[in-house]
Amino acid sequence: MPADAGGATPILSVRSLSKRFEGLLALGGVSFDVEKGQIFGVIGPNGAGKTTLFSCIVGSLVPTSGEILFRKRRIGGLPNDAVVRRGVVRTHQIVRPFREMTVAQNVSVGALFGRGKRRGAEAASRVAAVLETTGLSHRAGALAGTLTIGELKRLEIARALATEPEVICLDEVMGGLNPSEILAAMALIRTIRDAGVTVLMIEHHIHAVVGVSDRILVLNFGEKIAEGTPREVVADPDVVAAYLGDETNPLLEECVS
Amino acid sequence: MTPAPVSRRTLPWLLFAAAGLVLLLAPRFLDRGSLNDVWNVAFGVILACSWNILGGFAGQVSIGYSAFIGIGAYTTVLLALKGVDPYLTLPLSALLAAVFAVLIGLPAFRLRGPYFTIVTIGVSEAVRVFASGVSFTGGSSGLRMPAGSFDFSVNYASMVALALAVIALTAALSRSPFGAALGAIRQDIDAAEALGIDSTRFKLGAHAISAALVAVAGSLYAINFQYVAPGSVFDFRLSLSIVLMPIIGGVGTLAGPVLGAVIFSYLQIKLLTIPALRDSYLFIYGGLLILVMLFEPKGIVGLWNRLAASVRRSPGGSDAR
Repeated sequence: MPADAGGATPILSVRSLSKRFEGLLALGGVSFDVEKGQIFGVIGPNGAGKTTLFSCIVGSLVPTSGEILFRKRRIGGLPNDAVVRRGVVRTHQIVRPFREMTVAQNVSVGALFGRGKRRGAEAASRVAAVLETTGLSHRAGALAGTLTIGELKRLEIARALATEPEVICLDEVMGGLNPSEILAAMALIRTIRDAGVTVLMIEHHIHAVVGVSDRILVLNFGEKIAEGTPREVVADPDVVAAYLGDETNPLLEECVS
Repeated sequence: MTPAPVSRRTLPWLLFAAAGLVLLLAPRFLDRGSLNDVWNVAFGVILACSWNILGGFAGQVSIGYSAFIGIGAYTTVLLALKGVDPYLTLPLSALLAAVFAVLIGLPAFRLRGPYFTIVTIGVSEAVRVFASGVSFTGGSSGLRMPAGSFDFSVNYASMVALALAVIALTAALSRSPFGAALGAIRQDIDAAEALGIDSTRFKLGAHAISAALVAVAGSLYAINFQYVAPGSVFDFRLSLSIVLMPIIGGVGTLAGPVLGAVIFSYLQIKLLTIPALRDSYLFIYGGLLILVMLFEPKGIVGLWNRLAASVRRSPGGSDAR
């Protein structure tokens, strides 16, 4: 279900967030709110600052300035592991499995040390449930190093889900997937949202973002150039110019129709 | 294969318990010289297995563990000189080493990979220089335990029991959530933190536990030799040996450090008795280290697993991996 407009306080609030690397301004004062239960897409050209934004939210990077509020409490600048234990987790664009562990062991790390901090049978049942959701049950005993790229992408999601997050930030989980895998990934994202987890997703696959998102934020050169419903965003002239190419972009017409 | 009366999981434990029992009863049938050899091997096993908790499981290679042997040894001798029973000092040795490990780890664990390793060398050298320079440690000439009755059989039993306990502890750790966290940190520290693991806390925990165990071994070492000096317990070559044992046997594995310690300690005992080879042992260890690094980074255990896998594959050809 889409978020009810107004009224509700946002679960995640980003206020004038900036991140500077040496001379490069990767994020220049970005602000937006995410409502609980939303699927919130983040798009933009390469180098727009999307992954930097996720890194600042979960604490693997310290923001140069600005605030990040999760349930009205500041999380900006907290270390990554502390943010995860509060309930905000991310996946990595370039998958980072523990290659010497099995799929189940990989996922159990999230269950053991995430927000839930499960032990014993509780951890095991959390792992089993997450493997089921992500369609990895049949690979539970396989070493992570032997998985296909599609399975590795799902393992990233599975481990993050095992931490029992309230907000999950998915960084290009559809990269490198074939069309049927992309459809499955879109269904998985909806399943995650329906289970009560708020989803932020960076995605280059424009059909997919437009298809599943309730709202979309568009970044370009570290700045917000648009935010709104998928329909509003793809029709925005700035977005068309910056990201989607010229106005006769067939992709765009396809998306809007 | 014939049906096994015990499962594959309990068999190693039965063998372990039997071996432990034999070693603890060894004073009834072995001569003093052989018992000394077993004592040396047990000392090596404690050092190697303890180091393996941080260096193997968590992948944080420290070349400064002689500092903890020294802390344990000096704690025991200094307190014994004040009239405390040497064996009653063991808990304090463990505690002091653990505290020192945390204090060193707080800044050092901010560094990753070789930078951390370099800092550990620096710290242990600093400790050695400090111990040689101040008066309460007896300076570079060291300290002698107060004259009194020394019972080798008690020391032997303590060292062997501690070695057995350390093996059992590392086995238990490797299957625990704590062990899972250390494994995750070794394989990808950023991914570990991204799943909620406070990497610094776990590294400090591993450092403290392994330091405490090594310090108790250092205390027992001092009780046995009745003497402690910076040149022996804080020797950089000792720190190197502690790293070499698990690497030769199989770093990060359970059996590797035990195997490495047995081979290394035994070689050391034998080499030191051959005058021609007395000074060449570092050369031999260096050669072993290069061979392991080049051909089998998981040491003897890795070699064994590879051979076992190829034997399994060759006749039937049905094995998947």
